[in-house]
Amino acid sequence: MHRPVPDGRGRPSSTVRLSEDDREMTPSLSLAPHARQQLAAVAELRWRIFANSLGTFRGRMELASRIFLALAFVGGGIGGAVGLGGAAWFVLARGNAEWLGGLLWPVFLFWQLFPLMATAFTQNVESANLLRFPLTYRLYFLIRLAYGSLDPATVVASLWLLGIDIGIAVARPSLLPWATIVLLTFALVNLALARMLFAWLERWLAQRRTREIMGIVFFLFILSFQLIGPLAAVYEHRPVPETRILGRKISNAQRPLPPGLAAAAIAGAVGRPLGAGGVGASMLPFLLLVSYGIAFLWLLNFRLRAEYRGENLSESAGRKALSVALPAVRLSWNLPGVPGPIAAVFEKELRYLGRSGPMLFTLIVPLFMLAVFRSSETSEGLFTHAPGLTFPLGAAYSLLLLTNLSYNNFGADGGGTQFFFASPVRFRQIMLGKNLAHAAVFCAEVGLVWIGTCLLYRPPSLGVTLATLAGILFVLPIDFAAGNLFSLYSPSRIEAGVFGRQRASLTTVLASFVIRGALFGGAALLFWFSRGYANSWLEVVIFLLPAALACATYAFALERVDGMALTHRENLISSLGRRSGA
Amino acid sequence: MPAPTISTENLTRRFGDLVAVEDVNLSVAPGQFFGFLGPNGAGKSTTIKMLTGLLAPSAGRIQILGLDLVSNMVEVKRQIGVVPEGMALFGRLTGSEYLNFVGRMYGLDRETAARRTAELLDFMQLTDQPKALVTDYSHGMQKKLALAAAVIHGPRVLFLDEPFEGVDAIAAGTLKTMLQRMIARGATVFLTSHVLEIVERLCTHVGIIHRGRLVAQGSIEELRAGVEARSGDLPVAVGAASGEKLTLEQIFLLTVGGSRSNGQELSWLG
Repeated sequence: MHRPVPDGRGRPSSTVRLSEDDREMTPSLSLAPHARQQLAAVAELRWRIFANSLGTFRGRMELASRIFLALAFVGGGIGGAVGLGGAAWFVLARGNAEWLGGLLWPVFLFWQLFPLMATAFTQNVESANLLRFPLTYRLYFLIRLAYGSLDPATVVASLWLLGIDIGIAVARPSLLPWATIVLLTFALVNLALARMLFAWLERWLAQRRTREIMGIVFFLFILSFQLIGPLAAVYEHRPVPETRILGRKISNAQRPLPPGLAAAAIAGAVGRPLGAGGVGASMLPFLLLVSYGIAFLWLLNFRLRAEYRGENLSESAGRKALSVALPAVRLSWNLPGVPGPIAAVFEKELRYLGRSGPMLFTLIVPLFMLAVFRSSETSEGLFTHAPGLTFPLGAAYSLLLLTNLSYNNFGADGGGTQFFFASPVRFRQIMLGKNLAHAAVFCAEVGLVWIGTCLLYRPPSLGVTLATLAGILFVLPIDFAAGNLFSLYSPSRIEAGVFGRQRASLTTVLASFVIRGALFGGAALLFWFSRGYANSWLEVVIFLLPAALACATYAFALERVDGMALTHRENLISSLGRRSGA
Repeated sequence: MPAPTISTENLTRRFGDLVAVEDVNLSVAPGQFFGFLGPNGAGKSTTIKMLTGLLAPSAGRIQILGLDLVSNMVEVKRQIGVVPEGMALFGRLTGSEYLNFVGRMYGLDRETAARRTAELLDFMQLTDQPKALVTDYSHGMQKKLALAAAVIHGPRVLFLDEPFEGVDAIAAGTLKTMLQRMIARGATVFLTSHVLEIVERLCTHVGIIHRGRLVAQGSIEELRAGVEARSGDLPVAVGAASGEKLTLEQIFLLTVGGSRSNGQELSWLG
């Protein structure tokens, strides 16, 4: 017996004779007794992992959170089922069965999008673990299909579909069997699509470059939600016929898609029994819906088969050619007046930031938000009433977005943090280099916000600009000093190139909110106080006095960083360095 | 007799109730290629972390190049190179950026750091993909890069934690060449490894730690003589033929009591 052997990317490249053991691993049509044992073993494994996790406080907190979430989901599922069931009854009772699509789309979107959001783009290594064992392809496919099928999205969406089915049955009892078949098929199509999407996402997230591209796409997708409000506001003021034309276009566009097809299959059977001319109207969309399911399963099978055969998703750089001359190495950055080690840390930080797609996109958020506020601004909007606040609030928002950098200084360094302890450089210098880099990023960000304010609103007055800059001088040193302490006391590893688990520890995030609340409150108080004098230069002077105090506080805290770093080195190294080279 | 390059006095490290390293008294002379051996969990990595300032000792004293480590931490670190467990790389820099960064952290000027970076990348055969990030390197390439980073400033003492772990024969050959050159120019190398053949070939002196205690220390010949003197029957117990020299592996097994009885079997393998 011969079987193609994958070439490392899932493609067949040669053939080899299969041994008896290997033959057992080819897909079979029945579940052998040992396959049932394997399924039981996988189930027991999941249970043991869960049970063992309860041994820790974190695990028990996790269980409590899950119970809370489960109750919330069940509540949402039942509530949604009642709502959607009522809506289904209403549209059928009113003779508008084609409007069912409007009920099935939310179910479809929730089913597909919620799991993506909830998992926050973390890598799933389960398949690699499973493939170590002698599973048949059929069993592997079944496990992958079943794995995650009982997630909250499936449970909630299934409850919603049940509600719609009941609503249909109450309105048109004769439609119940056909509607049940269609909705069940719709559910299976959703299940296949969700599994298929996850399998492909896993593949794209397995490599750094594709992972970063996916991260950016995901980020843009999330940001695009911010545009819904302004878009709706735009169409709110359009004449009714124009809105109707748009609605008709959307309605036509959704018809060939699964929710539209399911709705059409049910609507086609209303008043027309299948045997009496309803076949074409009901069966065609139904068969198209089934064909969607088959296509999704085929794509899932295509992906899982490649995984099963042992594809190579290695990210290691391969050898291209032998070197013949010394490589040209660029000189590191020269920062006049800045000692070499501090300049090296500064350069390293900015290079890291420049290679972190998610972090770079985080930095454009303030500008994006300014644009969103501008496009949705009404006559009662905050910035219309107080245009002078746009620039200071934009600057404050920019500082909030720096939390992951400034309150978790070593998070992106991972195992590299160990190097800082092995190097002959004092930690105060390392911190200073990092703080300078973050300050540079923040200043650039504030500059962009100022330009954005000028372009989108109107240029801030000189007084407001100077007072904001002086306010930054007051806020930033204390914020950095606090960030340095939390970076040492509560480090949390982050992956600079991927989304998901990108936050500093919960303690740090909460503390940063409290500290910034106090700082912003203080700055606002000073701002209000200084405005009373109606003199721009006096405002700056009023801000500069506490700014000098803040700088002294920063210097005082920085002096003590060396000792703190040594005290906390074991925690830092073990918390951040669990994986090497990352 | 020259003052030792590395010496410890009653070096101890406790993690709660667990004593990971207990009263270790090491002495490594200048120019020695010292292999620090021990079974898994014996305390090798803990010791090397303490010797390089990555971990504070619970008790005891460490002197490197005649300087007390605790009171001269920065000065000592300037003189040593380290490849720690996990390699301590910055994954999102390229190889040349990383070496440049390390060079400047050790006080090299920009030109010197760039020149040495180029030489090291060439020597370590890491020039194929200049734009590849360290995180995309293979494990062997990362090991070579970590060693390159440890020597860029020309250290007098080199500490290496498992430098040959997961490294292929070609990369291991490059690492060995590099280490031998370091020894030839008078540096002292202190390494831990589980690959006893390599240690036997490279190292002039060996220390064996077992359950946190230093149980043997000296040249390989001294260790061999010590083991053979303890009992004439022992070599036979580890399979050495009469009159045949004990290998380092046999010395190690006899020292830590790791040889299993031949009669021990697994029930299903017979």
